[in-house]
Amino acid sequence: MALRPYVLVDVFADRPGAGNPLAVLPDARGLDDAAMQAIARWTRLPETTFVFPPTRPGASYAIRMFSPRREVPFAGHPSVGTAHVVLEAGLAQPQDGLLVQEGIAGLLPLRVDQAGDARTIAIRTPRAQLVETADAGGSRLLEALDWLPLGQLPPALMDGGRRWWLAEAVDEASLRAAQPDWEAISGLARATGSMGVLAYARCHGRDYQVAARAFVGGAAGMFEDAASGAANATLAAWLALRDALPGKGGRYRVSQGREVGHDARLDMHVDAEGEVWSGGQVVSVVRGQIDWP
Amino acid sequence: MSQPRRFLQVDVFAPRPGAGNPLAVVHDAAGMDDAAMQAFARWTNLSETVFFLPPASAGADYRIRIFTPRMELPFAGHPSVGAAWAALDAGIADGASGQLLQECAAGLLPVRISRRAGLLLPAVRSPRARAQAQPAPDWLRAPRVFDAGRGALAPQLWDNGPQWWLLELESAAAVRALQPDLARIEALPGGGKLAVFAWDPAGQVLVVRAFAPGVGIPEDPATGSVNASIAACLHQAGRLPGGRSHYRASQGREIGRDAVLELEIDGEGEVWVGGQVHAVIRGAVDW
Repeated sequence: MALRPYVLVDVFADRPGAGNPLAVLPDARGLDDAAMQAIARWTRLPETTFVFPPTRPGASYAIRMFSPRREVPFAGHPSVGTAHVVLEAGLAQPQDGLLVQEGIAGLLPLRVDQAGDARTIAIRTPRAQLVETADAGGSRLLEALDWLPLGQLPPALMDGGRRWWLAEAVDEASLRAAQPDWEAISGLARATGSMGVLAYARCHGRDYQVAARAFVGGAAGMFEDAASGAANATLAAWLALRDALPGKGGRYRVSQGREVGHDARLDMHVDAEGEVWSGGQVVSVVRGQIDWP
Repeated sequence: MSQPRRFLQVDVFAPRPGAGNPLAVVHDAAGMDDAAMQAFARWTNLSETVFFLPPASAGADYRIRIFTPRMELPFAGHPSVGAAWAALDAGIADGASGQLLQECAAGLLPVRISRRAGLLLPAVRSPRARAQAQPAPDWLRAPRVFDAGRGALAPQLWDNGPQWWLLELESAAAVRALQPDLARIEALPGGGKLAVFAWDPAGQVLVVRAFAPGVGIPEDPATGSVNASIAACLHQAGRLPGGRSHYRASQGREIGRDAVLELEIDGEGEVWVGGQVHAVIRGAVDW
């Protein structure tokens, strides 16, 4: 038996319980693929991450991410949460405000911004491409979204590693009140090889400019996600493409998860080069050790 | 933020860590209100989270509250077995008499503690299980169900808190290989839950699988309540091999676990369900 450090964090959260949970093993040396998958199945969390020493020049640390079913090449919330644990454990220091994460998707930089007690960590997400918009997609798509009063921008399918349909609601109230048609969402996800639908509204919330709800309906299951880093990154790329970014200087804040008992905040930034950074705050909820054979 | 509380994540009905059904345990939970307990239980995403409180009833060693991600439960087997182990582990009770009295929302629950090879094995007395009059649907009464041959016992709906349809199959191999149609199970009266079982060839271990699509669980890795109902059903039918009062059940192997539950039927016909518990994660929680 080996005792290893184990941390449960809440990602995209300014208080425990608001965001998306993540389990992190900051020292995973010696664990093989089967053991990592078994631990991730046992934690039952959306993702569990494992930190290793870096192997490539320029990397701050290496990471493997597992859902209960399989290894995940890239996802936003595990990247942001793991960086927080790495910093807390003193495993790496930011250079010029950046950490560099080594993973299956390659080297990805994370920006660390410390403002008083609040630390925000954002990951630069893989560049997202527009696959199609509903203008060309035809009636099948509009039928699949008829549970949502649509806003001004047309529904669009973006590919940022995983594909998401982005559907604007006419306003925040109708987004929050929407009752998703799960059958239609699943059918759409399967037919287009996508994760599902990220519905959103541009709005003027107390501390946010976009409200979002992520309906996962593909091979990954059927549920509403509490806080979706990668999906929101494809939305930022889409809004930038349409010159429709809210907020100032390419920065805006997203409220997500309220309808499923959470209350996450994601800080999005489209920089001068058009790169999308997806981030937020992280709260450590459980600090302990895991005893895994 | 309040002081961190002791936190454990234990593996229940587990011959080794990772083989059983995980349970989150929060000690010293006095001061957490209902909403905080429910929110934490939702956040852990485990089938159950238990919170330790000082006992409110005379004679009780401790009190627990049990939450699923959706609601509080008055009683449940796997959290009670895990909690009893955690109480001994934390020194809240010593179990020297071989017994504990656990208080939960359903009342006072006796827990037996046996010791074997340096391990403490709690067992809880399960609420009495009763067969229900509900007639089985035709497909469940057919000679073959989901391409597997049925066993000798007629399929029946049993109730010991939760309701489960119990279906004996012709062999342990048929149980292990079964590919059920979850949509059919979900539509079963009584909440959409079906358990299948058969003795292994040596008649030593009962092989069990439990499908509960009606409550959003395609297959459960280790289910105290369903195994207690099966034990009562086998006892009533005189189908315990050699008239034994004690056996082991294997569950969860088909979904990457390998749980072992210990069942005992006592002289009064009461069913006790227990097993090994391992502390996999120990730490402190800030909530």
